[in-house]
Amino acid sequence: MNISVKKHLPRRTFLRGIGAAMGLPLLDAMAPAFAAPSSSKVASRLAFLYFPNGVQVESWWPKTDAQITALSEDLPAVLQPLAAHRGDVLLLGGLTNDGGRAHGDGPGDHGRAGAAYLTGAHPKKTFGKDIQAGLSIDQMVARKIGGQTRYASLELGCEEGIQGGNCDNGYSCAYSNSISWRTRSTPNPPEIRPRAVFERLFGSSDVEKDPVRRARNARYRRSVLDSVLADATRLQSELGIADRRKVDEYLYAIRDIETRVEKAEVENKARIEPTLDRPSSSVPEHYGEHARLMFDLITAAFQTDSTRVITFLMAIEQSNRAYREIGITDSHHGLTHHGGDKEKIAKCIQINRYQIEQLVYFIGKLKSTPDGDGTLFDHVMVSYGSGLGRDHDHDNLPTLLTGRGNGLFHPGRYVKYPSDTPLSNLHLSMMEQMGVPARSFADSTGKLDYLTSL
Amino acid sequence: MKIRFPAAFTTLFTSASMLLGQDAGPFTSTVRPVLAKHCFSCHNAKLTFANLNLEALAGEGHGATWSKVREKVVAGKMPPPGQAQLSKSELSAVTSWIDSLTQPVETVSGSGRVMARRLNRVEYNNTVRDLLGVPGRPADEFPVDDSGYGFDNIADVLTVSPMLMEKYMAAANRISRLAVFGEAIPEKPTRLVRLLNRRSHDASDVLSNGNYGAYLPYSLRGAMYGSWTFPVDAEYEFRLRIANFRPGLEAPVLTAEERKLQRAQRAAGIVSEPTPEELKAREEAARNAAPPRKLILTVDGTPVITTVVEGTATFGYERGEFVARAPIKAGERFLRASYPELADLEDPRLNINPDKRRGLFVDYLEIVGPFNASKQPPPSYQRLFVCGHAPGGHASQCGRTIVNNLLKRAYRRPVTQKEVKAKLQLVALAQKDGDSFEEGIRLTLEAVLASPDFLFRSERNVGRALSDHEFASRLSYFLWSSMPDEDLRRAADANSLRKPPVLEAQVKRMLADPKASNLVENFAAQWLQLRNLGRTKPDPARFPTFDDELLDAMKRETNLFVEAVFREDRSILDFIDAPFTFLNGPLARHYGIAGVSGEEFRRVNLDGEQRSGLLTQGAILTVSSYPTRTSPPVRGKWVLENLLGAAPPPPPPDVPVLDESKNAGAMSLRERLEQHRKDPSCSACHNSMDPIGFGLESYDGVGSWRTHDGKVAIDTSGVLPDGKSFKGAKDLKQILRSQSEAFTRNFTEKLMTFALGRGLESYDSSAVEEIVKQAALNDYKFSNFVLGVVNSRPFLARDGEGGKL
Repeated sequence: MNISVKKHLPRRTFLRGIGAAMGLPLLDAMAPAFAAPSSSKVASRLAFLYFPNGVQVESWWPKTDAQITALSEDLPAVLQPLAAHRGDVLLLGGLTNDGGRAHGDGPGDHGRAGAAYLTGAHPKKTFGKDIQAGLSIDQMVARKIGGQTRYASLELGCEEGIQGGNCDNGYSCAYSNSISWRTRSTPNPPEIRPRAVFERLFGSSDVEKDPVRRARNARYRRSVLDSVLADATRLQSELGIADRRKVDEYLYAIRDIETRVEKAEVENKARIEPTLDRPSSSVPEHYGEHARLMFDLITAAFQTDSTRVITFLMAIEQSNRAYREIGITDSHHGLTHHGGDKEKIAKCIQINRYQIEQLVYFIGKLKSTPDGDGTLFDHVMVSYGSGLGRDHDHDNLPTLLTGRGNGLFHPGRYVKYPSDTPLSNLHLSMMEQMGVPARSFADSTGKLDYLTSL
Repeated sequence: MKIRFPAAFTTLFTSASMLLGQDAGPFTSTVRPVLAKHCFSCHNAKLTFANLNLEALAGEGHGATWSKVREKVVAGKMPPPGQAQLSKSELSAVTSWIDSLTQPVETVSGSGRVMARRLNRVEYNNTVRDLLGVPGRPADEFPVDDSGYGFDNIADVLTVSPMLMEKYMAAANRISRLAVFGEAIPEKPTRLVRLLNRRSHDASDVLSNGNYGAYLPYSLRGAMYGSWTFPVDAEYEFRLRIANFRPGLEAPVLTAEERKLQRAQRAAGIVSEPTPEELKAREEAARNAAPPRKLILTVDGTPVITTVVEGTATFGYERGEFVARAPIKAGERFLRASYPELADLEDPRLNINPDKRRGLFVDYLEIVGPFNASKQPPPSYQRLFVCGHAPGGHASQCGRTIVNNLLKRAYRRPVTQKEVKAKLQLVALAQKDGDSFEEGIRLTLEAVLASPDFLFRSERNVGRALSDHEFASRLSYFLWSSMPDEDLRRAADANSLRKPPVLEAQVKRMLADPKASNLVENFAAQWLQLRNLGRTKPDPARFPTFDDELLDAMKRETNLFVEAVFREDRSILDFIDAPFTFLNGPLARHYGIAGVSGEEFRRVNLDGEQRSGLLTQGAILTVSSYPTRTSPPVRGKWVLENLLGAAPPPPPPDVPVLDESKNAGAMSLRERLEQHRKDPSCSACHNSMDPIGFGLESYDGVGSWRTHDGKVAIDTSGVLPDGKSFKGAKDLKQILRSQSEAFTRNFTEKLMTFALGRGLESYDSSAVEEIVKQAALNDYKFSNFVLGVVNSRPFLARDGEGGKL
């Protein structure tokens, strides 16, 4: 792409575009020059891909009465692009996210769906202060195994969050802007800029090359961290209880960086070469282009074992994006309130299908990327789904798995679970496969059957 | 708590007194029966319309909710018109009971807690600019700030994620390098950027061919504009290339086969070569089709390239690159390259060829440089190295002076010697490592910029009075979204800031400062929801004369208008119907206003018939429309929510959504909405939303004036819930004027929320009332609201946390 362009420039930092007026280098401590090699046993990787606004039932679910069927070539409209890959996906029916239901809180299904999706929690209805959902599964896994990679987790997205306060009938925009929650009250906002993700993974072009200078920089960085840690500790003692919570967030974040820096400093120095070109500094407007670029980056992050846990918000919940590049000028969310209008239903299906086309691209990437004794596809667990089912409800959530998850997933099938089976049962199974066994997660009633066997 | 109303509602009364218990007697005997008769049918356990179950609420406190009920009932909004209304005695039974619950709360008044608040993106950028003077907007790379109560500076929801912290660290490193050493200057000038604009409304392929930069907006008139940050004071070369496509005059593109055939035909005399006369006529026609056009490139409004593009005989316009060099100061500069005459095209589509390409446009702009870059240390150097030595000539005792000065400015408070000493160790560390004194200061600056003392605005005097320095920060972040300046700091040092004459003088000074444009860009833009403009763009198929440039022009109009009200200290009622605005040629033409030409914006007086005030400005009319059409309920809701502070509650669950877009059938949108309102569970809100929206139906989805929607003549008449009937926007504005109290109270609440960085609570209500009352005595002049907020108890002081520590 523009690696050659870069050569003209003495320092990337000199290159500054509109809007993002200042190109920030990443902390060079985290540059891949110090990345760890992956261990001998190939680790499982976990990715949650989320799409908003649910699906049109008939366009998503194959017609069958059987509990378990092989996916045939005759797939419903939205899944059609997967025909050639039907042996690579596992379609799950009947899963429910109870946390997203109203439970007396009235309307606001979008806000609840997004925040409940990976947390299983019932988000607190507020659009001012006190946002509260729960710890999300990706973060639960990241807490336990995140220490083995440079990044405990990555949170990515294709749509910038809304700054509006009240996004959905009294639910804060924070609920629909993120699916990953580090604590009950701290959502992890996704990064939508491909360039920024690239630089986290592979470094900016001005990483210090001189080893003496680099070692000195490391000492300096250490001292900066020590200095701000001391400031934060002192500040905390001077503040009241509510304020301390804010400083706690700061302290957690600083320690997170500290851990990563320490790891980078002790681990080996084999340089990881970027597996793709440095993306442009602007965010592609074309949805497909943007999504595919993010999938390239997700693949690269897994391939280089930079992280094992990724969440990817294909669009924020209740997204109003208009997909003009496929001829849709109305907003996605508006279309889903179609009131039976055939034309609008067709457009909803077209959007869902367009997003599946991006998933197909990702599956292709996973299958063609060598990893250990096989390909990435053998070792990843990818969940692709939405927190809304039909008509903004929270039952029978569209859920599609891909990858083999080191043997956990047996793809090529459609499994219908009894209705009201908690989505968190699936999450519990995935957690265990990631090496984070737990007795329960959110409202789980046990691990999910039939993922592996018939 | 299940029942939630927008903040504005909960501000009126406290619920504290409710907790003390009350006599259930009169409630059971006189109030409950009235509620059962008139209210419970919609507000019960099953049908919790407006998310309100009055049955469960009965007699149990919830003062704020009950006072809201009172408001609705007294205003005649409830029960919904068309339903049986409360008799006088019923009404008084309910209101007097509610009044007995809800005492206005001067007695338990507090000033409320504002939590430690991290700087949001805007504040971070501004603070770095004012602290150091380095160019750029580093925080634009940070993730979007969440907002609460409609604003992005609410302490409670501004969280710190590890990713944000990482960006803070990276920014601290980068900014410290820039501030101490300046930009790294390349050894020889290079092409720094190639700026490209979108080729069509949705073009997205511009950047994929090894280009970089950013997508600049699409302009039907072929203009290119945006801002770019110049790294150092230097000369820069601008290389501007134009492009053009002639409408249908190019020779058809032939395949090899066809060319062969054509040659054969000519040789055989089947077709003849054009005669010299014919050729000449053709050339003349081409020249006439391409009149000379002026082309101008400006940097921050100053022309750098001015030329005329001539038509040629063979190909519409000459192509080519125009090159000019100009000295530019470091920092963000606004660039614009355009054909000014095209601003006065009757219809911008005259510049669009049948194949959708623009006839004339700016192809790209390259910036090459820097030439003869300034060797002076950057301005930030002066602000940091306050010892006054030349670079490299610092005595070691300077360290203390420099660090002390840096800390007290960056932390916006006096600092202790212990703090200074701790940071001085970083200078020592660098020097011990063989680095320069400057590098030591840089390292210190890096640590300061990543410190919570810099990143958070924390008020530390728990349980005690707010310090003057903390108060100075409150002021400056309210009015400037930035740190206090030297003047404010001195007043705080002298402990005189809160003396009324000093405070008033400071506020007036701050409002007159250019930095007060923050109130337009951050406060007003969020109050009016202008930040959502362009999030979903109008559909170009439906509105073919609309482009990014027009959208930006609309934003600019509203910004200039709001700024005029603020800066000229006008009555805020001018927002409703002031008979002036700011227009340039294209926007005036969009509105159908004659006599304004060219690209420049100017103040224009209006006759007040079709346009006046905010409501009939394109930005407002567009942000409250769908991409393809208007929506009366959405516009009505916009007015209620943002101008009157009376946002209708969300629709109850299971109510079918009105499908407004279906044009099938004989019913107009108005008729279908009328039918919708027959359902009592819809009527309560739609009776107040829809008529307002209908009053604005003369303006289409992008704010153009219209008399017909398709073939249907526009009917702008409406009846408000109180029975007042009106016709059109002009009447509507008159009605809004007559509700000036609701309008000004809402404005006060929004301004106070923004100023405090928290949602308003019941104990703030008396402050709000006082501000509104005082402003009314002074013709509602804008400065009265600012001074009122600044002098209010919630702003002047802070509460502790009930003694806990």
